Amino acid sequence: MAEDQVTLKIEGVDVTVPRGTTVLEAAKRAGILIPHYCYHPGLPVSGVCRMCLVTVEGAPGLQIACATDATDGQVVSVFDSAASDARQAVLEFLLINHPLDCPICDQAGECELQDYVFQEGRARTRYSDYPKRFSPVEDFGGDVLYVPNRCILCTRCIRFMDHVAEESVLNVSERGDRAFIGIHPDAVLDHPWAGNVIDLCPVGSLISKDFLHKAYAWQLDRTPGICTGCSQGCNITIETRDNSIARLRPRTNEDVNRYFMCDHGRFEYRWMNSGDRIEAPLVAGANGLVATDWSQAIARCAEIVKGVSGKAVALVSPRASCESLYLVHQLLKDFELLSACPVEVVEGEQPLPGVPNLALRSERAPNVEGAARLGHGAEYDKALEAVKDAALVFVLDDGYSQFGDDALSGSENLIYLGTSLPDAARNSSVVFPMSNAAEEDGTYVNRDGRVQRYMQAKTAPGMARPAWWITGALLSEIRGTDAPATAGEVFDRMAASESAFAGLSYETLGTQGAFANKASGAGVGCDS
Amino acid sequence: MAIGVKIMQRPEGQLSYVRATVKGLALTVSHLFQRKVTMQYPEQKETADWKLSDRWRGTHRMLTDEQGRAKCVACGLCPQVCPANCIKLVAGEDEEGNRYPLIYDIDEFRCVFCGYCQEVCPEEAIHVGVDYENAEYQRERFVYDLERLCSQTHPVSTLWDPADPKGE
Repeated sequence: MAEDQVTLKIEGVDVTVPRGTTVLEAAKRAGILIPHYCYHPGLPVSGVCRMCLVTVEGAPGLQIACATDATDGQVVSVFDSAASDARQAVLEFLLINHPLDCPICDQAGECELQDYVFQEGRARTRYSDYPKRFSPVEDFGGDVLYVPNRCILCTRCIRFMDHVAEESVLNVSERGDRAFIGIHPDAVLDHPWAGNVIDLCPVGSLISKDFLHKAYAWQLDRTPGICTGCSQGCNITIETRDNSIARLRPRTNEDVNRYFMCDHGRFEYRWMNSGDRIEAPLVAGANGLVATDWSQAIARCAEIVKGVSGKAVALVSPRASCESLYLVHQLLKDFELLSACPVEVVEGEQPLPGVPNLALRSERAPNVEGAARLGHGAEYDKALEAVKDAALVFVLDDGYSQFGDDALSGSENLIYLGTSLPDAARNSSVVFPMSNAAEEDGTYVNRDGRVQRYMQAKTAPGMARPAWWITGALLSEIRGTDAPATAGEVFDRMAASESAFAGLSYETLGTQGAFANKASGAGVGCDS
Repeated sequence: MAIGVKIMQRPEGQLSYVRATVKGLALTVSHLFQRKVTMQYPEQKETADWKLSDRWRGTHRMLTDEQGRAKCVACGLCPQVCPANCIKLVAGEDEEGNRYPLIYDIDEFRCVFCGYCQEVCPEEAIHVGVDYENAEYQRERFVYDLERLCSQTHPVSTLWDPADPKGE
């Protein structure tokens, strides 16, 4: 065995971990969850909650698993009577002043206090004769509400603000049973990453104003996604209820965003729920645009594309998936193509100091790098100029940029793929309704070149289809090739023909993403 | 040629209607002297020895607090437990910051009257009622909204025998 590995026995399971691993993390490897509140892998260890008490053979008394290093030959038991009794006592203390207002608490269903009390707490209270301490709800500013009654003083929020966000505005105020989480009297919790304290809070003490009373954990469907807020590409979980996105939460990816996401990204779901959508393909008739079916719209569009040659302009969105951006290029490769995507740039990055290479980036779109790699330039103004004398104008998703009402007026053959229909696109020859980023499968490339998949979280309204499906069907109509059936199929075609994606496959991207080949050919891998 | 019809010859006693009539009348008359079980519904809805069970599960009723507001805190357990999926609940927040139901609709057509909603309610707010007179002129009226549920006055169901400690 290697020098830097230790083997220990936890609940009868042998597990080998690197030296320096805590017993709690080693137990996770062994498939055993030691109950804990104050410990969080993204925060420094503090050992205040006393919930992770375990019996270590040979050690005097019980040990806290979160701050005990795993050593060779250690024998740990988690569920023996001594440790279980101690944890039950801890839970009993936590519940002395807990209001037990689970029916009206937003955390119900994903509350660790609920879970552990149900798992190993006492069935009945022994403190029913005493009135509970009561403190009113406090507004911490930003998106955060503090409900002191529910607080178990695990100090995760304090440690996040002190050591990760590095803006120390929270502390434990008062002492003993009067203690509560205090905020500096002149401060508000408006750090751009402050929303993470809501996720970190194991109970319903720090809650989101935006999510307040919206849904319970058990009513939500969860889908892995990629944040569309900036070019960082944080991994997120999209939580939907009744086909409407209720909230976005960070999804663990140690290499990108660890356990966190910024408040800007957290609210990037609202446009995805927008009801202002095109629901059927439209073709230009004598009296303006007329709704039609897919086959007619695609036939009409193919006719237009085949009928012209020369200059073409593609105005694409940096929110479009790599798959659709690739197919747009394939579709227009016989033209003298000028392609550009607009990127909203907000000056000043908002870094999270405690995590290296993590910030709310100034480029506020998820696929800037992917668009660049697939040959869609950034000279948007030049492309808009060129619209006037282009034989064909192809617009992919307007959602992002605000066209002037007459920005596209000079174009004779305008093909428009979008989620909504701005006035500028009223003179289109064909309009295709497309799904937005929450309604399709696809991939984005983040600013570091990591190719990451996102999945469909809700259904698209009406007849809307993913942009890769529309462009794939057009390509098939024009060239007679097979129309792709899935985003994965498009991706694998792209990987086969584009050097920037060489060596990748949709399957191997998994949920954590992989690095694309940077021209020289580094192959698949998670380290660059 | 005539069709040959065979005529059955039955004994006199079977052919006579007198015996059967007398037998029937005797049964009718005998009922005149028995205890009456007919109830004069709708004038009469219960009698001394018959009433609707306390555990009858009929159309719902929402109980209210002293201020006349629904006791419901919109916890969402009843729509969750409902096997017929007939409860629509949208939670909101009132002026005092308390959670309350913005929308609380029960589709009584879809309801299977299992009483789970009453059983699961932590606030003892929603109840199934001891009531069966539910006729309406429009189908839409069978979706009871919060106001209607609160204004019902019929007694609520007792899902278990209060005398039995094991019941609860």
